[in-house]
Amino acid sequence: MAAWDLSVAVEDLGADAPPITVSVTSDLHIGGVILKLVEKSQVKRDWSDHALWWEQKQQWLLRTAWTLEKCGIQADAGLIFMPQHKPLRLGLPNGLNLRLRVCFSGPVFRTVLGICKMLNIRRPEELSLLRPVEEKKKKKDKDLSEELYDLTEVPLTSVSRPCLYNGMPAHFADSPKTEKVYKMLSVSQPAPPPEAIAKLYRPASVVDKAHIHSRWLDSSRSLMQQGVQENDRLWLRFKYYCFHDLEPKYDAVRLTQMYEQARWAVLLEDIDCTEEEMLLFGALQYHINKLSLSEPQTMTSSPAMDDLDSALQCLEVKLDGADSSPQDMLENLTAPELNDYLKIFRPKRLTLKGYKQYWFKFKDASISYYKSREESLGEPIQQINLKGCEAAPDVNIVGQKFCIKLLIPAPEGMNEVYLRCENEEQYSRWMAACRLASKGKSLADSSFQSEVQSIRSFLAMQQTNPNTHNTHTDDSTSINTHSLVSPRYSKKYKAKQLTPRILEAYQNVAQLSLTDALLRFLQIWQALPDFGISFVVVRFKGSRKDEVLGIAPNRLIRIDLGVGEVVKTWRYNNMRQWNVNWDIRQVAIEFDGNVNIAFSCVTADCKIVHEFIGGYIFMSTRSREQSNTLNEELFHKLTGGHEAL
Amino acid sequence: MGTGVVVFGLLLNSFVLCFSLQSLGVETLPPEPPSSSSKEMNFSMGFADMNVESLNELEENDLDALMADLMADLNDTEEKLAVDLEGQKEAEAPPPDLPPAPHGLSFYPVPSLSTPTSPEKGPNTFSAPLADSPAPILSPPTLPQHEEIEAQMKADKIKLALEKLKEAKVKKLVVKVVMHDGSSKTLMVDERQTVRDILDNLFEKTHCDCNVDWSLSETNPELQLERGFEDHENLVDPLSAWTRDSENKVIFQERPDKYEIFKNPQNFYLWKKDKKTIKDMKDRDKELLVEENFCGTSIIVPDLEGVLYLREDGKKSWKQRLFLLRASGIYYVPKGKSKTSRDLVCFVQFDNVNVYYGKEFKNKYKAPTDFCFVLKHPQIQKESQYIKYLCCDDAWTMNLWVTGIRIAKYGKSLYENYKTSMKKAAVTTAWTNRITTTTSIPSTPSPTPKAKASGQANGHAPQPPAEPMAKVGNAPPPPPPPPLLPTQILPPPPSDPVLPPPPPPLAVKRIPSATSVPRQLPSLPTLPTSFPPSLTYMANLPPPPPSLSQDDSSESPPDFLPPPPPALGFGPGAGSLPSPPPVTPPPRQSNIGAGAPPPPPPPPPASAGLQSTPSVRKTGPPPPKRTTPPLAAPSGGDFMSELAKAMAKKRGNQ
Repeated sequence: MAAWDLSVAVEDLGADAPPITVSVTSDLHIGGVILKLVEKSQVKRDWSDHALWWEQKQQWLLRTAWTLEKCGIQADAGLIFMPQHKPLRLGLPNGLNLRLRVCFSGPVFRTVLGICKMLNIRRPEELSLLRPVEEKKKKKDKDLSEELYDLTEVPLTSVSRPCLYNGMPAHFADSPKTEKVYKMLSVSQPAPPPEAIAKLYRPASVVDKAHIHSRWLDSSRSLMQQGVQENDRLWLRFKYYCFHDLEPKYDAVRLTQMYEQARWAVLLEDIDCTEEEMLLFGALQYHINKLSLSEPQTMTSSPAMDDLDSALQCLEVKLDGADSSPQDMLENLTAPELNDYLKIFRPKRLTLKGYKQYWFKFKDASISYYKSREESLGEPIQQINLKGCEAAPDVNIVGQKFCIKLLIPAPEGMNEVYLRCENEEQYSRWMAACRLASKGKSLADSSFQSEVQSIRSFLAMQQTNPNTHNTHTDDSTSINTHSLVSPRYSKKYKAKQLTPRILEAYQNVAQLSLTDALLRFLQIWQALPDFGISFVVVRFKGSRKDEVLGIAPNRLIRIDLGVGEVVKTWRYNNMRQWNVNWDIRQVAIEFDGNVNIAFSCVTADCKIVHEFIGGYIFMSTRSREQSNTLNEELFHKLTGGHEAL
Repeated sequence: MGTGVVVFGLLLNSFVLCFSLQSLGVETLPPEPPSSSSKEMNFSMGFADMNVESLNELEENDLDALMADLMADLNDTEEKLAVDLEGQKEAEAPPPDLPPAPHGLSFYPVPSLSTPTSPEKGPNTFSAPLADSPAPILSPPTLPQHEEIEAQMKADKIKLALEKLKEAKVKKLVVKVVMHDGSSKTLMVDERQTVRDILDNLFEKTHCDCNVDWSLSETNPELQLERGFEDHENLVDPLSAWTRDSENKVIFQERPDKYEIFKNPQNFYLWKKDKKTIKDMKDRDKELLVEENFCGTSIIVPDLEGVLYLREDGKKSWKQRLFLLRASGIYYVPKGKSKTSRDLVCFVQFDNVNVYYGKEFKNKYKAPTDFCFVLKHPQIQKESQYIKYLCCDDAWTMNLWVTGIRIAKYGKSLYENYKTSMKKAAVTTAWTNRITTTTSIPSTPSPTPKAKASGQANGHAPQPPAEPMAKVGNAPPPPPPPPLLPTQILPPPPSDPVLPPPPPPLAVKRIPSATSVPRQLPSLPTLPTSFPPSLTYMANLPPPPPSLSQDDSSESPPDFLPPPPPALGFGPGAGSLPSPPPVTPPPRQSNIGAGAPPPPPPPPPASAGLQSTPSVRKTGPPPPKRTTPPLAAPSGGDFMSELAKAMAKKRGNQ
């Protein structure tokens, strides 16, 4: 067989280096070509990751046993010999930018698996890559030499599940630098300044949102095939909104990133919510922020250990208790009280007396008041049980007004009572006590001190007086409440109005642990009516106008663009089959009861829609029993389209 | 007298016990406790029918005696303790079997130091706390040294005493429950009991079919409101909100709307779809729907929206508004605004309100229809501007909204409740079938004695959660099995001549194991294998006082009922119960002790008539089964199971 010359560019030699020419025959297999190439290059190094990329055809020659003839390669083929893994700049949901080495030759689905394994994110099938929104090049981005965390040196592990070392995957534990990166991955980031939020791109309409979804990469083709180059920027995001088997113990990174994605969706108004919901989101963010800052990485101890420890501790305490004398025990068990002169005002009484001073005693979950301290041993003038009450702040720091507004339920309705405190200190304690009592807890509750603390820090946040130089410099107080809500609410409210409302919402979540707070945030997010819907602008068959198709984890939604209302929903449960006509780029779906719909996609390729639907079907096939094995083949079958066949 | 519920806080349990012991067979309302003016009592008391004066006297005497005992005991132990404190500390290396005892301490309000001196707070003779404190019994066998034993005992006594005091603070109500047929039953409910417990209790007392629709509801005639309690709610809390002169009632009835959401989820989640799709829904699809909305990381609330009538504050007019239900509350669309989230105005959030059905509001408030529901703080009992009244076009819409609000408010608990109810119902059916097929013995004893017994059957075996076997054991078969048990269990068997004498062989078998009563010693340890299940019972049954004092006087404070309940399944200690000497099939017992109380066998194959009948008996008898109680047992169980869970986790970790 005749030998002919095949020239191959070797990327590692540099762009300017001339291609290496090897003499081959048509029956030589790809592996043989590579061998010759390596010999000829006379470079001694590990070439195992390298493969041939066929420039004109935009394809990898990965089957080394195939002959040149079988691949259809002739002398004019422009081949490049290059590594399959190359660095990529990856934007994470929390805004962190990583530089890491990813696979450019396998299907994107596989690439994502690799990335997730490295970052220690379970259930990688829920994530995918998309092209970032182009940022408008303003002012020669001078400050935007964005921080980039380089992980390219981190060796790729081949173990299926990375072993944990010191609470993090072993490959992160190598150097302090990577350890730090892991921390950033697994701990939520501090709130950005509100100005920064306002600057970021926010989708203004459903159509804008639909455009975002046109950016998803095709899971069945490789990065190279989709024109992604070395060091390009891509985003890693949760794409399918059904989060399987979330286990805080193993999912530190996954949970954090999920939270970050949710938080940004809320802050950037990607998902709509009501004011009350926004305030609760704000309160949770504040709480999570505070805990992430204060908690010295608790990841080293696993929750199960904590459970056990606390259970044992509890046991110990109780047994210890048994050792002490009954008197001691009784004393320990007697509830603490608060005693102070406060002023009370009851608007319901039709008197104009205003605030009147009494001696107040707070015990268990009720307030009693007496004429004076001396009379506090006798019968109180009145005793008010605060269980089930609402306690709202009525505070004006500049005016030195520290009132607690209590709405106390009684058979006849709610009684309004105002308590006026002298100063911040007193207010914080009494307010904390009222809050606890409203939930049926007494002062003895362990959360009392932290409650007092958080009320104090919220008061500090309200000190907008520019003259008083920030005396409180600890981190938790320096959060701007405006960075906890979306720009719409930032504009709507002044900090003075916003802070107390967030504080109010905060009372309901202040007791949560970091993990619980993250989970709660996700739960509220998931309970929003618009949660998990990815929009695509489509044109239904027979219709003359563009409409929006919403793709949710369990259903498809048809939305009228004009009215913005849901016209129809179809559930996957009733779906018989769906087909894509790749020639005319049309998706056709058949549902039970002879319901057929067909549409062509306007803003996104129909492959993206196809992949979404197939992806959700795939997600629903996962069940607890099938535990950890990911059925990659099934995924490709459901999402691949004609390329997979 | 119209008091639907006789509310009286019992700081003193002894009183209750006395009451229940002595009033057996007599339907009567509890008499006023001797000194109701106690400062400690912070709840209202209202009494009807005080026709039991002699009873009262008796109680006081009893109380005095009990009190004296307690005082003596306390002083005694205190003194000794002070002296022995040092030595004790070593001796008292925390035995693993103790946890249940201290457990109570952390939970209940503390009696002030004055408690021992005021008679009402006398020692309580409830069996419940006893279940809490297996220590006195356990220790002797385990500690070799005599001194250590003593020290241990002392410590235990103190603990016991303190728990008693604690227990004495547990709030209890005597509740009159109106049955579906209009009759009523009176039960005592303590503040730790959930509605589920009480339903179970009622299942035993009535012979209803135990289906999932049975529920407890409260009615408020003044406001014309009605609400079904959720199974996980505590009953005492809402009842405490009733006013002294309240006409409110607790009703035991079937409410098809209670779990309709799980039976036909499509009606709620797909309400927008056409009627036909909803009607033709396949079971499999229904399941999927439930799974989708209740089994995910977040509960999904049906996305209800529609025009409802809102009663204007203070005015008599009803105004239409477009309302939307979200997980975070009910919102409305302000005039001229869109339905987008950002424009919605919050109408109410659910943290502090409950949802009630309104009855005949057309008349009362001139509502457009009678399909009204109301949102209010549970404490509000009278007309008030803080009550929110809404009116729907039809019953269906009202049901949709009320259910939707319940989902938003209770979330996952609703589903958990449903699953528990289903299990109960399933087991009961199984039992019913079983009983009807195997035996015709059940002569349905008069319910009265059993109802009475419930008052005392407070100790009960902790049920290992989520253990189907145990569930089986606990589910009361509706037709109460042979009455043998009641006769033996009810300590003073005053009024049940009705009950036929037990079939000899069976009865004999049960005695030794069921009660540690020496005088009943015809203990034929014939089949040791049959004991384990009955051990649970032991825990359940408040053993007859006389025998007890003989039995345990040496070890535990004389005034407390000796605690047989260690068998409750905490720790291996149960195996070393000193109680009935003859009965010691050691291997079996220790098994029991180590784990959960042995679940009585599930309906066995009905092969051997003899064998199957006993098993029926064991599980069947309502009185012992009473799942209602108290504290100790269940809470102790919780603690232990928590610990076990944690242990398991840890093991899994390593």
